[in-house]
Amino acid sequence: MNLVPFALYAAAFVAYAWHFARRTPALGRTATTALAAAALSHTFIIGMRTMEVGQVPVFDATSAISMFVWLLAVAYLYTEVTTDERAMGVFILTLILALQAIPAFKTDVEVRSSVLRGPLFGVHVSSLLFAYASFALAFVIGITYVLLFKEIKTKHLGVFFARLPSLQVLDQMNQRAIVVGWVFLTIGLVAGVVFAEQTQAPAMSLQDPKIFVALICWVVYSFELFAARRIGWAGRRTAYLSALGFAIVLLNFVPISYFLTSSHKF
Amino acid sequence: MRLLLVGISHRTAPIEVRERVDFQARGVELALRTLASRKPGGTGGEIAVLSTCNRAELYMACDDVATAKSELVSFVSAFHDVDATAIEPHVYDVTDLEAARHLFRVAAGLDSLVVGEPQILGQVKEAHNAARQAETAGPLLNRLFHSCFAVGKRVRTETNLGSGAVSVSYAAVGLARKIFGDLEGRSIVVLGAGEMGKLTAQHMKSQGVRQVTIVSRTIAHAARTAEAIGGATAARWEDMDAALATSDIVITATGAAMPILTKARIESVMRPRRGRPLFIIDIAVPRDVEAAAGEIEQVFLYNIDDLQASVRENLARRASEVVRADAIVDEELEKFATWLRSRGVIPTVVALRQSFESIRRAEVDRLDFKLSGLPPEARDEARARVDEITHLLVEKLLLTPTEQLKGLADPETATMYAEAVTRLFGLSEPPASDKEPETRADNRVEPFTRNRRPGPSGRQR
Repeated sequence: MNLVPFALYAAAFVAYAWHFARRTPALGRTATTALAAAALSHTFIIGMRTMEVGQVPVFDATSAISMFVWLLAVAYLYTEVTTDERAMGVFILTLILALQAIPAFKTDVEVRSSVLRGPLFGVHVSSLLFAYASFALAFVIGITYVLLFKEIKTKHLGVFFARLPSLQVLDQMNQRAIVVGWVFLTIGLVAGVVFAEQTQAPAMSLQDPKIFVALICWVVYSFELFAARRIGWAGRRTAYLSALGFAIVLLNFVPISYFLTSSHKF
Repeated sequence: MRLLLVGISHRTAPIEVRERVDFQARGVELALRTLASRKPGGTGGEIAVLSTCNRAELYMACDDVATAKSELVSFVSAFHDVDATAIEPHVYDVTDLEAARHLFRVAAGLDSLVVGEPQILGQVKEAHNAARQAETAGPLLNRLFHSCFAVGKRVRTETNLGSGAVSVSYAAVGLARKIFGDLEGRSIVVLGAGEMGKLTAQHMKSQGVRQVTIVSRTIAHAARTAEAIGGATAARWEDMDAALATSDIVITATGAAMPILTKARIESVMRPRRGRPLFIIDIAVPRDVEAAAGEIEQVFLYNIDDLQASVRENLARRASEVVRADAIVDEELEKFATWLRSRGVIPTVVALRQSFESIRRAEVDRLDFKLSGLPPEARDEARARVDEITHLLVEKLLLTPTEQLKGLADPETATMYAEAVTRLFGLSEPPASDKEPETRADNRVEPFTRNRRPGPSGRQR
């Protein structure tokens, strides 16, 4: 079932890459349409699964990734429609494709624990997923910022100079995405702590790598916000920080979820 | 009908010649009117005048290309009051598809002085509009111009022929936009009260920069330049660092022999800016800014050579797009050629239809005699019926041959078919224009019917 959105995301990726190379308006529209179709089919699949289990399907790592990809696609579509900038699409879709490959080709459904229900659990998971999607956007915007920055600084105006929006705009978008991500990360972490207290779940401590790494994440992004506001770090430095932060998010999201964590097998 | 182009452009004539044949100065409309009344190349001709500061071109659709050419040249010399011998060596003329190709390349910006410049398409559109308003554009020129608009549009969207700044000041503005986004609300500091700095500042100001500050060693010079720019302020040399600290863009254009802005000085200016980027454009020779200053994070330093290199790169990139643009020209030219060829058989088609029609009319008229025995009402109705049926019959019989003839893509085959049809149906010479077959049909048919017509009516009485 998850193969349909995967195929559509792949089609959108090809269209965005082609549009990046050729820059014709028709290709741009095709790319957006393909991505919208992918997101729509993905919405349908998540909706079906929600009806099936009676709750938003975020209780195992695979479905959480699928949910994350969906959030990322929707968030990106929103920024594209509001800013009319398509140059970043090819970068976002690379990430989307890589992650969506997991739910698309991993078919075994994991048994859900009876503990994992209730509104607080929902807040915990959905806030964190939304935060991660924001960080993913910030990461991609940060990469494009660095690429454009290098072109201008080294005076080799080329591919990115012709296609990307200005450094100022990229920096603002990056900052905004990080603020939104940080707020939801904080909400998600607090909700997780309260939920763990309520259910008295076992092994919810800093020894769980997932919790530990999530806290590191929070520290990195808090520092980035502090640095941008107080020390006057801007541009390239914050872009590098958002790349570091997202690397930790990915580490937490994929390998740790599947192989390491004891309490967060979802 | 053939297509003829007679023109002068920056490729063949120096500015001294081009400015003397500028149609815009004396009015394209007047030129079109005058030309229409002179009828160069025979009657039924179509004409359009394309006039820009780099070219003056006359596009004509006519039958007699050779006469038209010499008449157009003499018209240009008379219209502009220039000796014909002064312009003749610079005039080029091409015909038919090569004329179409030329217009397509012009509309695409391929024939411009600065390849890919965007204004030319608008100027070509104006030329067509003027011809339409003066009613000198007919089916051939209308089709030609619409095809060239398609070329211009496709080249603009499908190639990078028009991308990248190709002058130093545009390159500077383009860079500023890539760093700051919108230039509105930005402030700019100019070091030096000279002409170069003033011009660049004026260009930036026209792009929406909010504040311009002129810093000069002599405050009176700074004040004078600030006044000349309008809305700018002057600052003393000692206050330079304060001005730099609040600016986004710095243009340095002093005559100083040693660098004024050292790396250390800019570093100290950058500290209170909290990571706000600073774009420094050093257009002075010798340079006003130490090259090492470009290493500072968030400082973008470009000197005049860097900007010129970027301009050269853009020009080279445009040149590499020329091949792709020419491919589009070829594609659209092929479409236009197909249309033109389908027009080549039209005289034959018209002659064929007129021949059939004259036979039909003759037979219907002959029938009148036989119908004369009927009462008047019945006779009228019978005649109407016969007329209708025969008309339909001719239409149906001619439908397929007409379509087949028009659909022939290969010009040789088309000529062969046209000749065959002409001989098979005894059309003799295919008429050159649309009006001739009517007169010939009249010659052949009318005497016959005129002789017959009085007969029946006389006998009826």
